[in-house]
Amino acid sequence: MTGPASQPAGQRDGRLLLKLQQEMSAMTEARTQDMCLENIAQNAPYLKQGRTLRDLHELGLGAGDSGVVIAAGPSLRRRDPVPVLKQSGFNGAIVCTESAISHCLRQGLIPTVAVSVDPHPLRIVRWFGDPDLDQARMKADDYFRRQEQDPSFADEVTKNNELLAMMAEHGKDIRIALGTTASPDVVKRVHEIGMQVFWFNPMLDDPDTPGSVTMELHRQNGLPCMNAGGNVGGACWMVAHAVLDKSRVAVTGMDFGYYADTPLLNTQYYYEARDLVGGDESRISELYIDIYNPHTDEWYYTDPAYYWYRSAFIEMAADADCRTYNCSGGGTLFSDHVQWASLEEFLDGATT
Amino acid sequence: EMEAKKRLGGSIAFVSKKKVMWD
Repeated sequence: MTGPASQPAGQRDGRLLLKLQQEMSAMTEARTQDMCLENIAQNAPYLKQGRTLRDLHELGLGAGDSGVVIAAGPSLRRRDPVPVLKQSGFNGAIVCTESAISHCLRQGLIPTVAVSVDPHPLRIVRWFGDPDLDQARMKADDYFRRQEQDPSFADEVTKNNELLAMMAEHGKDIRIALGTTASPDVVKRVHEIGMQVFWFNPMLDDPDTPGSVTMELHRQNGLPCMNAGGNVGGACWMVAHAVLDKSRVAVTGMDFGYYADTPLLNTQYYYEARDLVGGDESRISELYIDIYNPHTDEWYYTDPAYYWYRSAFIEMAADADCRTYNCSGGGTLFSDHVQWASLEEFLDGATT
Repeated sequence: EMEAKKRLGGSIAFVSKKKVMWD
């Protein structure tokens, strides 16, 4: 996808990125499936505690026909939806990624439900405040410093302490749709906090396929299985649409990419991309693609994983019997089935 | 190559045409 030739950006055509797209499902399975199965086995003692996704469905949460997803992409800060939501008095469903919980709590907004599915052993627990955070853990993974574009350990410690305090105060008020695939550290932490847990199995493959891993898990633990859509943002949309039964769903903070002024180093998969091309700096750009957003008249760019999430989301939105709006105000997500709108416009059309 | 590629894989699976399997 390219924009007008006169645009100054748009040089990266994603030659390698596009080549990898047909392998992304296999790459994701290779990266995550063993981790998921190991986590599910270790989480078994907790699965009898808490409720299930069906219980969440039966609570009928959020007034009216509308839900708003809050994800933690770059637009969450640049075009913050929380003040608009608070000012409007919106009383529909608010579904947020675990990575956006702190952003909501900091502004006094408690989401209807949070969602977590990623099996990563270290990163995800940080969004809940990591009581075991130390120099070694921070040194082992500079992901957060790169995302924050702040290189200091001190800032990480301050943020972690703030999270620990917020979770201690508000954690018990938060419902969480928790994938059985979450890391044992996340599961332990969520229970320490006292969050209200609603379990489900993220689908690891097509349950209708003979020998399906998902179907076997379902037989073993009896939990509902949900298509998580590739990442937690897609999973939030699925919860709003298919679990909370909202017929209008807006997404915010859902960029599936980066603003044009973001350095490559600050992208989520930079090191992985660099390693795939053998450290050849001149080839790294082949793993990124520039995308022109006609709604904002701005350029963005994305990487193989986020391009895949974007494609998955567009497919899910096209298949769904709900209307999907992108109220992020920026990013790469737009299509015939994802209507671009301001959050104010979306909220004006909500029934209560 | 797959060892290098898989590090660029997604967070969790995406299953085309599926929503929720309740029962």
